[in-house]
Amino acid sequence: MDIFMNLTLSGLSTGMMIFLLASGLSLIFGLMGVLNFAHGSIFMWGAYSGVWIYFRTQSFTLAILTGMMMGMALGWLAERTIIRRVYGRPIDQILITTGLMLVLNEVLKAVFGPNIIAVPIPPLLAGSWELGRIIIVKYRVFTIFVGLVVAAAVHLILTRTRVGMIVRAGVQNQEMVQVLGINIRQVFSLVFMFGAGLAALGGVMMAPAIGAINPGMGLENQMLAFIVVVIGGMGSILGSALASVLVGLAGVYTAWFLPEAALAVNVLFMTVVLLIKPSGLFGMGGEQNR
Amino acid sequence: MVLVLILAAIPLITSSRTTLNLWTEIYILGVFAMSYDILLGYTGIVSFGHALFFGTGAYMTGIIIKNTGPTLSNLLLAVLGTLFLAVVISLIIGYLSLRVKDVYYAMITLAFAELFFISAEKWRSITNGADGFSFQVPSFLQNRVVFYYGILIFLVLVVLLLRRFIDSPVGRVLQAIRENEKRAEFLGYDVLKFKLISTVVAGVVASLAGIAWALQQRFVSTGVMAVDKTIDALLMTTIGGTGTLYGALIGSGLTTMAKNQLAGFAKFNPIFERWYIIFGLLYILIVLFFPGGIIGTWNRIWTKK
Repeated sequence: MDIFMNLTLSGLSTGMMIFLLASGLSLIFGLMGVLNFAHGSIFMWGAYSGVWIYFRTQSFTLAILTGMMMGMALGWLAERTIIRRVYGRPIDQILITTGLMLVLNEVLKAVFGPNIIAVPIPPLLAGSWELGRIIIVKYRVFTIFVGLVVAAAVHLILTRTRVGMIVRAGVQNQEMVQVLGINIRQVFSLVFMFGAGLAALGGVMMAPAIGAINPGMGLENQMLAFIVVVIGGMGSILGSALASVLVGLAGVYTAWFLPEAALAVNVLFMTVVLLIKPSGLFGMGGEQNR
Repeated sequence: MVLVLILAAIPLITSSRTTLNLWTEIYILGVFAMSYDILLGYTGIVSFGHALFFGTGAYMTGIIIKNTGPTLSNLLLAVLGTLFLAVVISLIIGYLSLRVKDVYYAMITLAFAELFFISAEKWRSITNGADGFSFQVPSFLQNRVVFYYGILIFLVLVVLLLRRFIDSPVGRVLQAIRENEKRAEFLGYDVLKFKLISTVVAGVVASLAGIAWALQQRFVSTGVMAVDKTIDALLMTTIGGTGTLYGALIGSGLTTMAKNQLAGFAKFNPIFERWYIIFGLLYILIVLFFPGGIIGTWNRIWTKK
């Protein structure tokens, strides 16, 4: 019983962090049709810059803020200089964001070094509670909490604000929104920035959870985020959330029983979904610019 | 033709093993890049899983020769085994992933590539995991000069073969698909079938390159299956020029030479260790502003004159 509690908690926690990474990806993909291959790199930059600040200031709050800002800055920069030149050209988008990923990864290695850096859990969030034989790791609860808060916040923004409404409308039918006279390009920039910020936040959160950061974590987690976006459907926050939880749990449980198959299980899910319902379980993206 | 003669003369000029090795590497990776160009430049598909074919070829060769002895017949066995595997794998993966749109295809191929990579890593009993293993090559291939000529012939054969493929009716349909998939469909072509053919051809050629690579390195490790290798192919093809077989060769030449030479410059200035950044930036610039790559831009300059 306690093992299951442990695994479930771990799975939910991982799922939440993947959600942070995937939700941005999903929105960007759903709204702009851009599959950002560099998303994982931004995630990684968030983690590294957050950790860097944490080592210098011992303040986790500052680390989170720095990470998010780094993500948003990178997102803004990328969108302005590169992404906006390739709207509507999916192949070029893939090629360009791959190039961006390459450059970001290499610059990261140049700045921070190619080695693994150990990351301790902030003292306030370290340790665990014990309920009888069940051990509840505090940090995991924290990540789940943050994930839920973000999910709620994003949901509220999307459903209760004007900007959110425009984004939702844009996901369903981009042309129509433009026809109605709304400058969708600005909304694109905003969504890209925001998505990047979320990814970076995910990175900062994940660093203490795994205990170490390395230059490969961008691609690893991006793979999972892709799987989540496919399963959950692009443009749908609910879909991303559920799919993230699914992927997180599936990964953790499979790793417990059969370590080698952990990724395979998730890839299998993705393949099945792609074959049966390519738009994902909750997908609501339009088809205009694919 | 002239170029081939020049290249053939190289071993006569220098007896430096490093140079011969360098050129051999360029040829092998050139073949790999050309196979990628079939997918990207001629059919318009972006695959992130290409390294798995390369790696399959390399591992098959290594495993068979290591376990059965370095003789010619075993090498032929390895080649046949690889070809068979390559066809089967490309058909299965192709069938599963080609039915979805470009973007999802890219993701699925990436996922499959990761799967193969992790399998190679975990299957320690056969592959020795990330440490890899070395093996002897058949004696007639041990002379570097002989090997060089062998690979050069291999390269020329592949170029001729691929050229014929591209100029054939099948190749024309692939280019049509690249230009406008919907229209090709409306014209009555079974797009999926043609893309599958393209995948098989590209996969087979890539696996042959993998075999050559294993023979050259005499060592196989998980590196041959890594996504990095696919990205290398992507870089080489794009920088050299997609949709032109020779572009891939030029790209390979540039990249491989850079890898070997710039690493030497690292002594002067640490920035050269991260030369990859320059390549990445160059790549981005090319995709944005010079879509034809080096060859495309060269052609454009010529036609303007």
